[in-house]
Amino acid sequence: MSEATQGSVETVTFTLNDREITVPKGTTVMAAARLKDVYIPHFCWHPGLKIAGVCRFCLVKVDNRPKLEIACNLTATPGMKVSSVLPEVKEAHKWALEFHLVNHPLDCPICDQAGECKLQDYYMEVGKYKSEMDRPKVLKPKALDIGSELVLDTERCILCDRCVRFEEEVTKTGALGIFNRGDRAVVGTYPDKKIEHNYQDNLVDICPVGAFTSRDFRFKQRVWFLKDKPAVCPGCSTGCHVDVYAKPQVRSYFRLKPRESAVNGFWMCDKGRNTYKHMNQEQRLRFPLVAEGSVARRKTTVDEALAALVGRLLAANKEDVALLVSAQYTCEEYKTLFDLFVVKLGVSKVYQWREPTEDLKAFDGLLYRGDHNPNTRGLSEALKAAGLPSEVNNGFDELVRQAPPLVIALGPEVAFQFPSLPAQLKQLEQLPFVSLWTIDGAAANYAGLKHLLPMKGFAEKRGHYLNFEAKVGELADPFPAGSDDARDVTEVVAALGDLFAHSL
Amino acid sequence: MAQDKPRIILRTEGLANPRALKTYIEHAEGYTAIKKVLGGAVTREQLIEEVKASGLRGRGGAGFPTGLKWTFVPQSDTGPKYLICNNDESEPGTFKDRHICTVNPHQVIEGMVLAAFAIKANKGYIYTRWEFQEEIGYLVEAIKEAYAAGFLGKNILGSGFDFDLDHYSGAGAYICGEETGLISSLEGKKGQPKVKPPFPAVSGYLGRPTIVNNTETLANVPWIVNHGAKEFRQYGTEKSPGSKLFSISGALVRPGVYEVPLGYPFERLVQEECGGYLPGRSLQALIPGGASAPLLTPEEVKGLTLDYEAMASRGTMLGSGAIMIIDDRQVLAELLKVTIEFFAHESCGQCTPCREGTGWLNNIMDGVLGGTAKPDSVERMRTVAKHMGGKTICALSDACAMPVTSYVQKFSGQLQAYLAQAAAAGSHVK
Ligand SMILES: Cc1cc2nc3c(=O)[nH]c(=O)nc-3n(C[C@H](O)[C@H](O)[C@H](O)COP(=O)(O)O)c2cc1C
Ligand code: SF4
Ligand code: SF4
Ligand code: SF4
Ligand code: FES
Repeated sequence: MSEATQGSVETVTFTLNDREITVPKGTTVMAAARLKDVYIPHFCWHPGLKIAGVCRFCLVKVDNRPKLEIACNLTATPGMKVSSVLPEVKEAHKWALEFHLVNHPLDCPICDQAGECKLQDYYMEVGKYKSEMDRPKVLKPKALDIGSELVLDTERCILCDRCVRFEEEVTKTGALGIFNRGDRAVVGTYPDKKIEHNYQDNLVDICPVGAFTSRDFRFKQRVWFLKDKPAVCPGCSTGCHVDVYAKPQVRSYFRLKPRESAVNGFWMCDKGRNTYKHMNQEQRLRFPLVAEGSVARRKTTVDEALAALVGRLLAANKEDVALLVSAQYTCEEYKTLFDLFVVKLGVSKVYQWREPTEDLKAFDGLLYRGDHNPNTRGLSEALKAAGLPSEVNNGFDELVRQAPPLVIALGPEVAFQFPSLPAQLKQLEQLPFVSLWTIDGAAANYAGLKHLLPMKGFAEKRGHYLNFEAKVGELADPFPAGSDDARDVTEVVAALGDLFAHSL
Repeated sequence: MAQDKPRIILRTEGLANPRALKTYIEHAEGYTAIKKVLGGAVTREQLIEEVKASGLRGRGGAGFPTGLKWTFVPQSDTGPKYLICNNDESEPGTFKDRHICTVNPHQVIEGMVLAAFAIKANKGYIYTRWEFQEEIGYLVEAIKEAYAAGFLGKNILGSGFDFDLDHYSGAGAYICGEETGLISSLEGKKGQPKVKPPFPAVSGYLGRPTIVNNTETLANVPWIVNHGAKEFRQYGTEKSPGSKLFSISGALVRPGVYEVPLGYPFERLVQEECGGYLPGRSLQALIPGGASAPLLTPEEVKGLTLDYEAMASRGTMLGSGAIMIIDDRQVLAELLKVTIEFFAHESCGQCTPCREGTGWLNNIMDGVLGGTAKPDSVERMRTVAKHMGGKTICALSDACAMPVTSYVQKFSGQLQAYLAQAAAAGSHVK
């Protein structure tokens, strides 16, 4: 997907700012610079899109050529000497910026992009001069409702054409165009049409300024107050690499953005963007809830809740115990779970918990898959390793029919991807005893569930998922858990293991 | 020396029914060149060599050598190739291609068959600006006649060479005269130029090799085939051979379209062809090659000849041969304003320096004429124009910047007078 991953034997060596650079033949100076971490200013070029060559910001000087040329459309040739730092080049960059600012409203104080706006960045870096423009600006439509996830301000738009190309090349919907000409040119959809696909927020990402803003994120936070860490989207079996943006000090998550990888290129879907919300306070299960004997269900500590569970396990026969496992946990979690219950304790009833309406074969041709679990492959492999049947099937109904006396259920993390979950939780309420491990706060509404353990979200734990084609997705750099009582499966199992050791 | 005023292009001008196929055949060696070439007397390579040897340069404005351009089509590529006649004629001041369509359209069609044969294109288009409704009618009629006579279509004159020709019309945009803007428009897209490389000769219409030539350029080719490069070179200068059509307008007794050899003295054109200036008028400034050409002062016009080199040596250009006489009654500041306004209106808006620069200059000129411009506006125009030049996808940005630069350099007195007036009245923005 990126030039970096396209293996090519033939290479070209040229000089960029007095530094020799070797890149695959056919690479542009811009792409080569990116590969080697040399920064050439640009607005319209994007590594995931075709070349537009319209912003004219990326001008560089090639030795022995009269005019400056745009780096994004300049193929590196052997021995070519290129500079992006000569005074005449810098002067050209300054003027390119100036031209971009001519009709820009400069409403940074109320613009969501502020802090990650390329125009603002460059202004601070290249510019920081008094604007040359002293005439009235062209006014254009603002705050347009252009799609379910988007708001468009055409006055902030610098007409870089990225969004238009995204709609043409990536979603292939061709939903956007630049209409009119000259300085009256304005970006927009066709009459009475809106952007309707599942990839809308990518437009917010690629828009170098604050023309496209996200309905979800708009006006919520100044980006410089946010911290981001890499993770993997749990929304489907593609497992897009993402960055999670949060404010850990107040235990709030704000957004996901795609992180470039061979799995997802530069993009992710809107469904996936929503997979942070369940980790926020108002949506998550924050503490254990346990009903013991005649005592009604109440909030307890994690230790108490685990002790109660161990008590029940010790009293039960291994034939009475069953595991109900959704495919939304990491490979490491499955391994520790099965090591304890299957290998050590000899539990053999392990049921896969899946959404009955799922269409495993569904795929939108871009990223989003019908398997709405991040780790179906990982679960299968863990089952196989534990000597259990490993093909994907939905064991939920069978478990309900069997009604084992003691069920440990690892609930789905992303509840909105499980439309049948409310009905399933109702069914679980009818069983003799279910210990439901979940992050989903809605589970607390089911009074018949006697034992609820709060779990960590994907951004709060280490481990990995295997995506639909068994590519590894790493969760390596967790945020602190959003609630003190939240645990991941590995931690719960380790604690249970300790309690068993003491009890034996 | 051959005759002093050759008829290479306007051969049927002045005859009865000049456009008719019969007239072309009877009076202008009509379709004999394709008989010669398609009949096998001249090979494809020889044809290209002959055009190269003639020194014919593109008449669309840039003056690029035509034969050389044809060799850029990769002949290893066996897929479809296209030939396009650029009949958009949108440069302000230019009206010579429409005249060719009016008096001698068949020579363009014959030229196209020859050029298509040279580059191995089997499909061609004539692209005419929408406003030329009458001329479009003439072309469509001529194409029909040529098909009926077997000069277009399948297996032309039994040679095995196929060439289909269609007419297409844009909505009337200056930018659709730029060859890649034209191609976008022909593809059914918004008429805006494409980033180069790739160049059209490699990847043009529908991503296929395409040659775009101006109407007048193509009309030269049959004559070159019939008379040879050597005879062609008897007209014009060493670097600008042949004849050229000039569209000359302004305060003249007989403004119009004239075919004269390149290198022709400007003053002679004015006096002999055009009958001199209108009584009581004199030259204030000269636009020698369309609205985008830098202006010349009367001093610079002295001894001026009409060829690419003479224009270049004076820092201006021959362009499409659109000569505009700006007489002493014109208000240059207003002329500059309409010129800038034209480019601001016609900029396709893709490239930031062009989109914003044309609008910015237009805005400043509004201020100058409206008495609200800052005192340093002339200097501002100079720097804005400077940074618009040589940095964009097509030359429209330069086309706007060049006249502005020359104006500010040579005629800023009038502008300064406006500014001084505004300053005195206190109406300028502080
Ligand atoms: C803004 C702009 C407008 C142009 N308009 C015309 C035009 O109307 N007719 C034309 O023949 N060439 C026009 N050209 C030049 C064409 O791009 C191209 O160079 C020409 O058609 C090539 O033909 P030639 O080689 O026969 O001159 C224009 C160029 C620019 C940059
Ligand atoms: S909306 Fe954003 S991405 Fe689209 S053209 Fe404008 S600046 Fe570029
Ligand atoms: S395609 Fe799947 S993994 Fe990627 S963002 Fe969407 S839901 Fe998440
Ligand atoms: S220079 Fe102007 S007219 Fe030409 S492509 Fe760029 S914006 Fe369009
Ligand atoms: S980044 Fe090269 S022209 Fe925009």
